Amino acid sequence: MAPLLSVESSTKRFGGLLANRDVSLTVGAGEIVGLIGPNGAGKTTLFNCIAGYMHPDAGRIVFDGTDITRTRPERICRLGVARTWQVVRTFGRMTALDNVVCGALERTSRVTEARARASELLEFTGLGGRGDLLAATLTLADKKRLEIARALATRPRLLLLDEAMSGLTPLEAAAAVTLVRRIHEELGVAICVVEHVMEVVMPLSHRVVVLDYGVKIADGPPETVVRDEQVIRAYLGGRRAAR
Amino acid sequence: MARARISGAARLALVVGALAAIVYPIPLQLQGQTYYQTVGFLVLVNAMLGVGWNVIGGWTGQFDFGPQVFFAVGAYTAALLYAKLGVIAWVGLLAGVAVAIVLCAVLTYPLTRLRGHYFAIATVAIWMIAQPIGASWEFIGAAQGLFLPVQTHDSVVGAALSLQFSGPTKALGYYYSALLLFAVTLALMALVERSKLGYYFRAIRDDQEAAEGIGIDSRRYKVIARSITAAVFAAAGALYAFWALSVFPEQVLELHWSTLPIMATVVGGIGRLWGPVLGAVILIPISQVMSTTLGTGPLAGRGIDLIVYGLIIIVIAAFRPTGLLSLPWGRWFGRRRPAPA
Repeated sequence: MAPLLSVESSTKRFGGLLANRDVSLTVGAGEIVGLIGPNGAGKTTLFNCIAGYMHPDAGRIVFDGTDITRTRPERICRLGVARTWQVVRTFGRMTALDNVVCGALERTSRVTEARARASELLEFTGLGGRGDLLAATLTLADKKRLEIARALATRPRLLLLDEAMSGLTPLEAAAAVTLVRRIHEELGVAICVVEHVMEVVMPLSHRVVVLDYGVKIADGPPETVVRDEQVIRAYLGGRRAAR
Repeated sequence: MARARISGAARLALVVGALAAIVYPIPLQLQGQTYYQTVGFLVLVNAMLGVGWNVIGGWTGQFDFGPQVFFAVGAYTAALLYAKLGVIAWVGLLAGVAVAIVLCAVLTYPLTRLRGHYFAIATVAIWMIAQPIGASWEFIGAAQGLFLPVQTHDSVVGAALSLQFSGPTKALGYYYSALLLFAVTLALMALVERSKLGYYFRAIRDDQEAAEGIGIDSRRYKVIARSITAAVFAAAGALYAFWALSVFPEQVLELHWSTLPIMATVVGGIGRLWGPVLGAVILIPISQVMSTTLGTGPLAGRGIDLIVYGLIIIVIAAFRPTGLLSLPWGRWFGRRRPAPA
């Protein structure tokens, strides 16, 4: 069976900087894929290309049989891809509930229906009771949950989480991992998580893809990837010693 | 949305306000006055324009300084249809609204590539282009403009349908016509605010990228928002054409057709449905009072009235930048708000 998402040799260049070089990646339906790598490895660039905020200079991106290489973000969302942001982007002057309503309106034009769906998702993400608060006044952990709820409201088949756990306390991060597991198990959504914290990604992911300096250096089950020579070098800074 | 839970005090204020607006000109009319009905007319026109501008400027967060172009489009369309083909006023008004919507959509779509200050500058540029077109296009009377032939109607219905009021009831007739248009605008905008459009506009205002990520076509919804604003401006422009009995470029393309409603919106409370209404009710009478008191007599012609008027706006902007409607009225008027969690 063809994977839900397949990135084929995507290359993205910013002037002299090669942010992604020939990166290929697949996410199967119902799979959790971890995308890791040191800062500046090109993880967010790859995410932006998948979600349509940037378009690769070369290569192809296919979602569920549709070529989305040059498609705009709102069209990609309609096809079933939703994302969250590394630096949170909630609608600050709207209430938490209204943030999620905006997402739910992607699948219905009836506001009452969207509000009902949004309330359910606030409960699901642990924000029940906080629906009336302005999004700008929420804590970082709650804003990240709110972004997940808003993304889920668009009924995605693939959820792209860009550092959903960074900046959180260990306790909050653990709760976020539980939430991601529940999204996968109860809603059956395929998930691609970007993280640079190994401890978070490894137990969560079925498969881990490692980027370093814009190039894919490993792709496999977590237990194999952690023992990979190149990955260890990239993370522990052995590059200079190896030269 | 917060507005769904309308409080008893707010409902009372709405009823009292509506009754006051309806009753207001009657004692004046009985005394044989007309001036204050005209002030009321200007308040209503500017309140209506402010409510319209709030859609693009307040909810969608795109600063549009050129909506007066569509005020002119509405005025010219209704005036042309009436003067050249004898089309009845309200039909001309609806035609003006339709022309404004189409023209606005065509002009605004390329503009939506621009953001922030650049969008604002582009709206001003379109207004600047409209001025020489209005002043030189013979079909619409060029710089001289158009004059609307006066018709006298014996029946109130006839006068109301053709928007032609004359004699001692002129100010009264236009006051109620403006009140009707204002009420319709306010009701329609209340519906827009609670609809999908209202949510999408505010999502784009708060974060355009995030809005696109949840499936909102930002360019499309900006065009829709500005076209709604244009429709309101065109309706007001058509009414104004019949009130003034003439349409010429310097008058309908005057900058104050955008600055006054924008000031009313900002002073009253930007992004709130009733903000522009409160702002217009406060600012327009002040400006009238200023120009009839400080603008006349020994100080006439020195702009003292404008300076004082400007100072009042600066004071409000400095002490309550989110607008007067954002003051804690609920707390002052006895309603206990639930403590913020």
